[in-house]
Amino acid sequence: MMGEMYVIETQDLTKYYGKDRGIIDLSLEIEEGEIFGFIGPNGAGKSTTIRTLLGLIFPTAGNGRIFGLDIVKQTKAIKKQVGFMPSEVNYYAKMDGHELLQYSASFYNTDCESRIRDLAEIFALDLDRKIVDLSRGNRKKISILQSLIHRPRLLILDEPTSGLDPLMQAKFFDILKEENSRGTTIFLSSHTLSEVQKNCRRVGIIKEGKIIAVEDIETLRKKQLRRIQIEFAHPVQGEEITCLGMIASRADRNILSFMYSGRMNDLLEALAGKDVKDLIIEEPSLEEIFIHYYSDEKEDSRKV
Amino acid sequence: MKVNTNIYSKELKRYRNSFIAWSVSISVLILMEMAFFRFLIKGDMLNLMKIFFENPFWKKALAAFGWSADGLTNILGYYGARNAIYILLLGIFFSILLAGKILALEENEKTAEFLLTKPVTRLEVVRSKLAAFITYLLLLNIIILAIGFTGLEIFKGDSDYRPVAFLIYSSYSFLLMLAFGTIGLFISLLMKRGRPITNISIGIVFGGYLIDILSRVTASTEKFGYLSPFKFIDTGVLRPDYGLEWWRVLYFLGLSFLLITLTFIIYKKKDILI
Repeated sequence: MMGEMYVIETQDLTKYYGKDRGIIDLSLEIEEGEIFGFIGPNGAGKSTTIRTLLGLIFPTAGNGRIFGLDIVKQTKAIKKQVGFMPSEVNYYAKMDGHELLQYSASFYNTDCESRIRDLAEIFALDLDRKIVDLSRGNRKKISILQSLIHRPRLLILDEPTSGLDPLMQAKFFDILKEENSRGTTIFLSSHTLSEVQKNCRRVGIIKEGKIIAVEDIETLRKKQLRRIQIEFAHPVQGEEITCLGMIASRADRNILSFMYSGRMNDLLEALAGKDVKDLIIEEPSLEEIFIHYYSDEKEDSRKV
Repeated sequence: MKVNTNIYSKELKRYRNSFIAWSVSISVLILMEMAFFRFLIKGDMLNLMKIFFENPFWKKALAAFGWSADGLTNILGYYGARNAIYILLLGIFFSILLAGKILALEENEKTAEFLLTKPVTRLEVVRSKLAAFITYLLLLNIIILAIGFTGLEIFKGDSDYRPVAFLIYSSYSFLLMLAFGTIGLFISLLMKRGRPITNISIGIVFGGYLIDILSRVTASTEKFGYLSPFKFIDTGVLRPDYGLEWWRVLYFLGLSFLLITLTFIIYKKKDILI
């Protein structure tokens, strides 16, 4: 074998829809057994990435491999081992849940009957109803079952929890953890950061078609970014303090709040001569780190 | 040439009711038409229709499809002439509409996302769907053949016909339906996100029909007619030398083969945008 094998590996994967940008030079390496979060706002290229990986669309440039197999040329062999949940569920309206799942199962050479029954019970799903009569949440449940019944080695989930109520979301993540403990690799695309924060070990952030960071969730949180709030004895005037690494500062009467990525000593020095009534230093949420990445990028591009 | 039996049997099931409805309607129509032949012979209808056959334009136009005062008095001539207008057109519509949606509906109803993320190749998908389409087209033609033959036997009276000529005519019908089906399949593939091609299909069939009729009216437009697949079907069932001509068969099979091949090539590379 060639060195280390990743479950998903892309090199400069690029997709343009005519002149419209899909994804640009996307390089990812996802290890076996990990739960990888893939976050970015709508239109950033999450679904484009997933559709390219699954062979629904073809890359303009670059290449990708899943289980070491080429995503363009060996897509059938790849899909034998992949379970996929789309963000919007569209199934054959006239089929009932059971028919749809049997049709889905028929493509894999394994008996899925008992698995279908077990999962339907967990999710309290009535399989005798026609797809057309199901609510969005119930269709989503069918989609969950459909992605799991053949026990895939890789799960690709495109915003899987949208439309699911919190109770079902919890059950869903329980199942994912169970699958993951069996060795299933999970690629979870989401724009809900708390979801990724809670369930993933690593996260890739995509913006305007480009990966802007791939980090361990822990590292990302431990990055020297802090949320700082200072209460002065007097109303904040103009640029009360200036310090390298201050981002998004906001003044509200006596209170100055901002994100800070500089050295603590510098900040303390800047505050030394001031009349400070209160100082709060907090660890930011992933969301704030995420926004920080974005604003950072924007400032960079302005400089250029 | 692997066909995925799951897709194949699912497609058969999906279009079963529609197939039954078309088959029953066409069968009933054939028998009604045939029963009308006895009425035509016994009554004095043909004399009333003479006005048409004496008008040069109509004579040529009607002759284009084997309509002649003499031809209509023969049961097979009658069958061929009436059939060309009703049964053949209906069969073509069945074919072009089914082929036009059997692949495209997956995109239009966004189920392609489900199907194409299963372990199947694009070519297996097209092949399996094509197989389901051809199965129903063959079944429909077998039914038309059986009902047509039954009708001929019941209502022929003392009018005699060559069963072989009927068989040949039916083969041409099948090939023409097949060719139009592949046109529908191919065009549906070119539509953005599998939009339905019903209106386009109807336009193509009537357009082709019209081109053929007009081309037969004057000698100067004769060549023009080769634009239409209708031109390649031989309806002269009463001619003693009526038989399968290789160039006609080759045209239908060649056109179908070409369009199916193009369908394979395009679908293999097509971005499925949902």
